[in-house]
Amino acid sequence: MKQKHRINPPLSGAFALAAATVLGFCTSAYAQSNGPDRNIAQRGHYLAIAADCAACHTAPGSTQPFAGGYGIASPLGSIYSTNITPSKEHGIGNYTEKEFAHALREGIRRDGAHLYPAMPYTSYTKLTDDDVHALYVYFMSEVKPVESTPQKTALPFPYNIRASMGIWNALFLDDTRFRPDPSKSAEVNRGHYLSYALAHCDTCHTPRNAMMAEKGASPLAGASLSSWYAPNITSDPVSGIGGWSSEDLFRYLKTGDVPGKAQAGGPMAEAIEHSFQYLDDADIRAMVSYIKQVPAISDSKDKAARESYGKASGRESVYRGLPANRISRGEYLFSGECAACHRPTGQGSPDGYYPQLFHNTAVGAPIADNLITTILMGVRREVNGHTTYMPGFGPGSYVDSLSDQDIADISNYVEQNFGNPNVRVTPDDVKLIRSGGPKPLIARLGALTVPAIIVALAGLALAIFFFIRLSRKAKA
Amino acid sequence: MAKPDFTSSGDVSADVVVVGSGVVGGMVANELAAAGHSVVILEAGLRLKRAEYVENWRNMSFHNRLHSDFQGLYPQSPLAQAPLYFPPNDYVGLSGPNGSAFKQGYLRTVGGTTWHWAASCWRHLPSDFEMKSRYGVGRDWAISYDELEPFYCRAEEEMGVSGPHDKALQSPQERSRPYPRDMIPFGYGDRRVAEIVNPHGFHLVPIPQGRSMEPFGDRPACCGNNNCQPICPIGAMYNGIQHIEKAESKGAVTIAEAVVYRIDTDENNRVTAVHWYDAHRQSHKATGKTFVLACNGIETPRLLLLAANARNPNGIANSSDQVGRNMMDHSGVHASFLANEPLWFGRGPAQSSCIVGPRDGDFRRDYSANKMILNNISRVAPATEQALKLGLVGKELDDEIRRRAACGVDLSISLEPLPDPENRLTLSKTRKDPLGLACPDIHYDVGDYVRKGLNAVTTQVKEIAGLMGGTELRITTDYNANNHIMGGTIMGRDPKDSVVDGNCRAHDHANLWIPGGGAMPSASVVNTTLSMAALGLKAADSIKAAFARGQA
Repeated sequence: MKQKHRINPPLSGAFALAAATVLGFCTSAYAQSNGPDRNIAQRGHYLAIAADCAACHTAPGSTQPFAGGYGIASPLGSIYSTNITPSKEHGIGNYTEKEFAHALREGIRRDGAHLYPAMPYTSYTKLTDDDVHALYVYFMSEVKPVESTPQKTALPFPYNIRASMGIWNALFLDDTRFRPDPSKSAEVNRGHYLSYALAHCDTCHTPRNAMMAEKGASPLAGASLSSWYAPNITSDPVSGIGGWSSEDLFRYLKTGDVPGKAQAGGPMAEAIEHSFQYLDDADIRAMVSYIKQVPAISDSKDKAARESYGKASGRESVYRGLPANRISRGEYLFSGECAACHRPTGQGSPDGYYPQLFHNTAVGAPIADNLITTILMGVRREVNGHTTYMPGFGPGSYVDSLSDQDIADISNYVEQNFGNPNVRVTPDDVKLIRSGGPKPLIARLGALTVPAIIVALAGLALAIFFFIRLSRKAKA
Repeated sequence: MAKPDFTSSGDVSADVVVVGSGVVGGMVANELAAAGHSVVILEAGLRLKRAEYVENWRNMSFHNRLHSDFQGLYPQSPLAQAPLYFPPNDYVGLSGPNGSAFKQGYLRTVGGTTWHWAASCWRHLPSDFEMKSRYGVGRDWAISYDELEPFYCRAEEEMGVSGPHDKALQSPQERSRPYPRDMIPFGYGDRRVAEIVNPHGFHLVPIPQGRSMEPFGDRPACCGNNNCQPICPIGAMYNGIQHIEKAESKGAVTIAEAVVYRIDTDENNRVTAVHWYDAHRQSHKATGKTFVLACNGIETPRLLLLAANARNPNGIANSSDQVGRNMMDHSGVHASFLANEPLWFGRGPAQSSCIVGPRDGDFRRDYSANKMILNNISRVAPATEQALKLGLVGKELDDEIRRRAACGVDLSISLEPLPDPENRLTLSKTRKDPLGLACPDIHYDVGDYVRKGLNAVTTQVKEIAGLMGGTELRITTDYNANNHIMGGTIMGRDPKDSVVDGNCRAHDHANLWIPGGGAMPSASVVNTTLSMAALGLKAADSIKAAFARGQA
């Protein structure tokens, strides 16, 4: 069972001292600090949880925190997280605080090499100096050094040219700190800081352009994320989560389960499992306050909120007893593969362990990606020491290994009976999800086109650079 | 990843050829594929989806469900029959004083019979390995409990077994490692019966089970559908198909609808190839370095006899004339009664707890041990049948069904036959399967050892029913089969009176292993699957060692 760390919230300093005294049990064998530094390290620990460093830097099931080795699926290939323990040889033990900050905010390693933005430095760059300091103290003094180097990232050419990220950063990295908006409440500002600088919600939920940079014009409007889809979480009542109450959002972030609305799977389940469930209630409420006032972005194709679709089915009395060739294949497979848990009615189990299928965002969404991915890969979420698990139906499944056609048939039956009747799923859709989801332009282009684009962008970046220098000179 | 080589005509060659795709074949294939060997698995039956079995079961008639038709929902390959009883297909011809006690329900399908088992994962007791030297009856194994114990541990880990961490509830208590998961918690009925009967020496313990209350790796948690038999609808129960899939992920290839019928041997009596018929009755050949037969207790001896060749005229591995002899099963009876209080059996998995007090003791010199499973399959169906017979209607009928379902107790009692060479599987002279291969005939007599054991059972059951205020006590009069088929390829140290050695390697053929229930020289009273799996893992280790020595 995961050890639950309850540490004083960084942004509500009033509790800090009292909590630090109460929470003396957090002292680790590797702690070199004491007194005020202890408090800073504890705050850094909390920040590391809020920033969800472990989601990528601790391999799933590993007993070695922050030793890296988790292959993050990207459209360009797997990007392996690195060892960020204070090991001098294998980790970040030799990093000065300045070098640490440089990696965190600008995505540049101690040796000068560029990180890929799978490491969300584009969000962490918003961190305050105090918080970067606290994170540094935590990693250096409280994290156990692990003396091993995980698998190295080896993207195919041309994406293996890390220097190209310098150009990318010049174009897309907004390297500035978080600035509170004086027109908003302190709580909304705190939520904004938590959501961006730490939880980096935008990394998944903000759509990206052809070069995989976040589109500044549509923050949190929803984006494809390999096989999963991170939905629109703006305040739009139809396309986003405007219809959710604060209590719904709070419960979702704390547990990943809001019966009759949504259950977290995939990377969102990981974020809840590793990060949100451990955050202070006040911090979660601040994030809710912030999310609820994010400007609505609406998609005119969306006719109703994703959680509003569907109703219980009475079909079993129609098909029970009929031979397989007398009912649709989708209905047959749904009954045999799904209905034992979700029930033929789609109502799920009374305790909610098996969620209901109607009034369910994964089923009612305008695209079926999350439904297909859930069927293929299942759901696993450990909250409060209790694991919620749905097995996937991909290769080697403990239930059944289903084909693209099988999953398309089941998905269409589920959409028609419990979800968004406008959604149609083809075996090719399933095949695409199985192979890692839709790829952005940069990943679809051939090995020759991308260097050409990089050269062109380099020229563009240089031009912008000189233009800015010139205009600054002109102003001076 | 090592892969078998296929020719354009459909022949295949591999380091290891495994015949049979059940729990034993799957585990052996997985071990050897993991060790880097190319593996091909030949399975006589079909490969179908779980959903198909689930829907067939749900669509089955009340009569078949009530009388436990666990075979009928599994579609059979037209060329590879297995027993059916609704109505009987007489694929296995039964004779002898207790022929009807050998109506086995086994599957010929990819994944094997653990599709419809109850996932009970018992170990034999140390004494079960030494029946002859301790009690002067039956046979000793060629290996001791201690030699098999590490493989019991590994089998439990492979199958994700939940069993009691409390030593007092373990049977046996001799263990080198804990169960991978703690016991499935007792239901109300189990707890209540334990309170009542345990003070009288009956010792109700949890059944170790191949399922768990939390996910076991990628296997989902059991949620108590209560129809483990004949199909777990959600994959929470261990099924042999899970090891087939694991083996395949490591390069093993399974060929379904491949009925093996012939075995080639060379001048040193090493096996060189097996031949199979495909779904179109075309014959193909699988050559290999090592061969494993894992077709369960009836099809393995049948194949060995069918495959007799010039050098082995009595059948493969049969110089001892013991192939097909010593056939055993836990011939059993059912005892049912209505307790004087509601116990609500039928919640959770199909089997939950078991009385093991009479599992061992010096009495075994004279008569059979027994174990009594507190059957946890819902009592609603039998309660309904009984209430309907009373001629009730309306609310009275509902109330009576409810009362009988709540208070009904069913004990599934297993006895221990001794290995008897006269209990024998032979090839039918008259009945052939659709490929023209002889069907199996089995002559069976439970023996006086079991009959005397049943007298003790009757006394014990009456005491238990009495303690529970039982009425309508019924003990079945015919022995029933329990699908725990043993003995037909019996293990021993002496090649003159046994078929395989302590590693389940055939005495007659240096590169042929025959692991599984057929090797077991004593039946004990407990379900055989875990012992079969442990023997399979031990065989796999000995095959790996033989490869390492260049002898495989």
